[in-house]
Amino acid sequence: MARRILSLCRNLLRRRAVEQALDDELQSSVEILAQEKMKDGLPRSAALRQALIELGGVEQVKEEVRAIRAGTFLENFARELRLALRTLAKAPSFTAVVVLTLALGIGANSTVFAMVSRFVLHTAPVGNPATLVTLDTTDRNECCNHFSWPLFTDVRDNAKSFSGVAGFYELLPASISGSGDPQRLWGQAASTNFFDVAQPGMTLGRGFRSDEQNSPVIVLGHRVWKSRFNSDPGILGKSITLSGHPYTVIGVAPPYFRGIDLVLDTQFWVPIGNIDQLLPNTSRFDQRDYYWIAVVARLKPGVSHAEAAAELQLLSQRFAQAHPDTEKHLGFRFDQAGSLPPRDKSVILLFFSTLMLVVFLVLLIACANVGNLFLARAAGRQHEMAVRIALGAARWQLLRQILAESVLLSLLGGLLGVPISIWATEGLSAFRFPAPVTLDLNVDIDYKVLIFTFLLSLATGILFGLLPAWTAAWASPSAALKGEDVLARPGRFWTLRNLLVVAQISMSLVLLCVTGLCLRSLRSASSINIGFRSSGVLAMSIDPRLHSYTPERTVQFLDELRRRISAVPGVSSAGVTDALPLSGGHRSDGFQALGKKPLDPAPIVELYMASPGYLDTLGIHLLKGRDFSNESAGSPRVAIVNQVLADTFFPRENPLGQSVSSGGITYEIIGVTNNIKSRFLGEDLRPVLFRALSQTVANDPSFEGYTILARTPADPTAVAASVRSIIRDMDPTLAVFNEQTMEHHLREALFLPRLAATLFAVFGTAGLLLAAIGLYGVMSHSVSLRVREIGIRMALGAQARSVQHLFLRSGLQLTTLALAVGLPGAFVIARLFNSILYGIKPNDAITFIFIPFFLAFVALLASYIPARRATKLDPIIVLRYQ
Amino acid sequence: MDEKRTDLLRGTLDLLVLKSLSLEPLHGVGISQRIKQITKGAFQVSFGSLFPSLHRMEERGWLEAEWRTSENNRRAKYYRLTSSGRAQLKVEERDWNQVVKVMKAAVQST
Repeated sequence: MARRILSLCRNLLRRRAVEQALDDELQSSVEILAQEKMKDGLPRSAALRQALIELGGVEQVKEEVRAIRAGTFLENFARELRLALRTLAKAPSFTAVVVLTLALGIGANSTVFAMVSRFVLHTAPVGNPATLVTLDTTDRNECCNHFSWPLFTDVRDNAKSFSGVAGFYELLPASISGSGDPQRLWGQAASTNFFDVAQPGMTLGRGFRSDEQNSPVIVLGHRVWKSRFNSDPGILGKSITLSGHPYTVIGVAPPYFRGIDLVLDTQFWVPIGNIDQLLPNTSRFDQRDYYWIAVVARLKPGVSHAEAAAELQLLSQRFAQAHPDTEKHLGFRFDQAGSLPPRDKSVILLFFSTLMLVVFLVLLIACANVGNLFLARAAGRQHEMAVRIALGAARWQLLRQILAESVLLSLLGGLLGVPISIWATEGLSAFRFPAPVTLDLNVDIDYKVLIFTFLLSLATGILFGLLPAWTAAWASPSAALKGEDVLARPGRFWTLRNLLVVAQISMSLVLLCVTGLCLRSLRSASSINIGFRSSGVLAMSIDPRLHSYTPERTVQFLDELRRRISAVPGVSSAGVTDALPLSGGHRSDGFQALGKKPLDPAPIVELYMASPGYLDTLGIHLLKGRDFSNESAGSPRVAIVNQVLADTFFPRENPLGQSVSSGGITYEIIGVTNNIKSRFLGEDLRPVLFRALSQTVANDPSFEGYTILARTPADPTAVAASVRSIIRDMDPTLAVFNEQTMEHHLREALFLPRLAATLFAVFGTAGLLLAAIGLYGVMSHSVSLRVREIGIRMALGAQARSVQHLFLRSGLQLTTLALAVGLPGAFVIARLFNSILYGIKPNDAITFIFIPFFLAFVALLASYIPARRATKLDPIIVLRYQ
Repeated sequence: MDEKRTDLLRGTLDLLVLKSLSLEPLHGVGISQRIKQITKGAFQVSFGSLFPSLHRMEERGWLEAEWRTSENNRRAKYYRLTSSGRAQLKVEERDWNQVVKVMKAAVQST
């Protein structure tokens, strides 16, 4: 083998020397043979001739020897590539069009693959991810919730399938201070075995020891270590201030580890015993009905998923018996760590698969287009091919050469596709998901994406090169040599090129219909009645709890802040809440009406806190009753509900004065508002309950801080500076975050429809353009083939109009056929989109009537232009030229 | 041309070349003459097959080549068996005898 590689190197690198040696050897053989003949008495010239005949021709023997040499294949391949490069360089515009077309198609596919690879195919950034699972609880088989602390410890102590079970609180906010401005970070409070179970590896230091459950120690994320501590290698053992408390740094996590899941941007970890200190005034952490802790578990070696699932099933039955009041319908489910969140899995997968389908369609259209261009070129090169076959080239050699050209083109396209997809992923990363926590949604082009792009390019090249190559190489050389166009088959409808065009138009019909649906959905999403007025409202957030404010002081502070902001000139009203609506989901809980038959299951109610003036500021209307008026923390709890909640609990009754309860707290309803959208724009209306801020801060504080809203009749950003200075005056240490206008917040809430509409508009337009170019190419080619016929027709007196009709008719035939094929396909695919469409049905009539007409119009235009050009020709010139 | 015939020849050609080189190093023409001689004129190897075969066996390391002056004072490329070439000759001889034995039995069985 080594010898073989050696000869390969010699043959490739010292080609000239190898060739020279072969030449010498053959020459000397001829001489030796000739000398033998001369011994028999032949004259030298005759002897040489005889010797050459006996040898069978020096060049022929050389060819035979070259064919067996190591590396012949590579050499031939290189030669073919050089030839292909030369051929393509001679047709720069053709090359440019093809490369660009393919680059668009391939780039789109790489971009979507990069997203899929990032969000779906990625494993958790931990050691040995295959045996790490995330556990969730289910209730009546309904997915999914975290664990309560007692349940977590029960599973940890009893489950035998796992070598370790770790729990963590996923979203722990904290402000980190020291040098520079206070900065708000998101971290996690984890059980001490967290790093032993996850095994992410450490950049510096270690994870928690088992005796550190309540110790003030901290593991920093790589990014915060780099940005805030200048990658200080001596940071271990130093003390930093987290929300006003000193913590000792014991480790730095590696750069790729930002928690188990793939979107949160976790920047620190502390032992779980510190949670009372960092999230003060929450006393429910150890209660059995409070599900707050996320759980990961490491499977013991050799234990299968099924065995672990069976054990958990048994455990859940045991727990259900032991704690019937909380765990009666308990179940467990587990997923590979790093897989998509179980609750949203199906939607995300659907979104990505439709997206993949769509970009694949774009690529197919591009392939059909390029295939057609190749066919047209093949028609022009029949003479060349025929000459080469006549000169003794084997057909497979021609085939190989055309394939070399097409693969070269597609690889160039792939090469250009990489910057396109880098640009596209950067654009996509700029879309901000409407969530109050920091998420890491960056999509990068990594080696996996590059490999995918390369393979896709290769496959593309073979796909669009094969058909034209086949037809060109199999055409009869004798006919082609006589100058006939053997590929043209004028008058035949079912030619390969026509089929390609039909396929193209029908695929772009599917694309355009989807695009139309998404654009209509965006339109209807932006006109959805959200229930509040976003214009003229400024929002910014603070989190006094992170600065060790007591609940009383927090309420006092927020109340004072609200008063001062209302007094700012230009501010018409101000209010405080714990979270803005349309933030992708906040708090919710099951509720029951007091003194009624309990509804089963208890309706889930969205919970918000509101200060006096909040409803006014957001423009939410009170339909009945009154607004809050600084109820004292100790007085009976009051709440304002929305129409849906009133209708759910108190149909045909006056809701005012009624009571609802949840988690042991009873609220008296003092007002009813119009409905608002709570989590997402597209949701069905949910029951919403506003609690009085002053009564709620103490026992159920917000983990995400409090948001101050100010309404102004003019531009809300104009008062931002005064609002900020008021906060600074009241407490200069408070970090202000999430400053934005409600308009901006609403635009972010349009994330999904906007993303979908943008993506599909881009792909749909690309598909339409490609299909139009394809049809135009085919029509103008078929016109150019029939120029002579047109000349004769017109010489015999045919009107330009009737000749144009001839071509328009065939264009129309193709288009009609394509529409008939594509429309059912579009219907089927549109159904998949149902879950991401807002306010319109997937079989939206306007889309499905308008788009086919639009496409037909474009198609007719694409066939009209070449037809018109043909009839402008002078018949005399045409006939003479032919 | 008959495909099967050339295949058979190609298989036996290597054996014949190795065999003819087992006594002394020879150049290409010499090998062709030696084969003619040892097969009593039954095989006339064309140079179009002989030279590729020589080069292939050289690349495999069964043969070594060097330039020497021939008996009538011409420079020529002489091929010589290497030790792995000798081993290969043994293998090919054994295989051939095996084939002959089997074929003989097969032919006689009818």
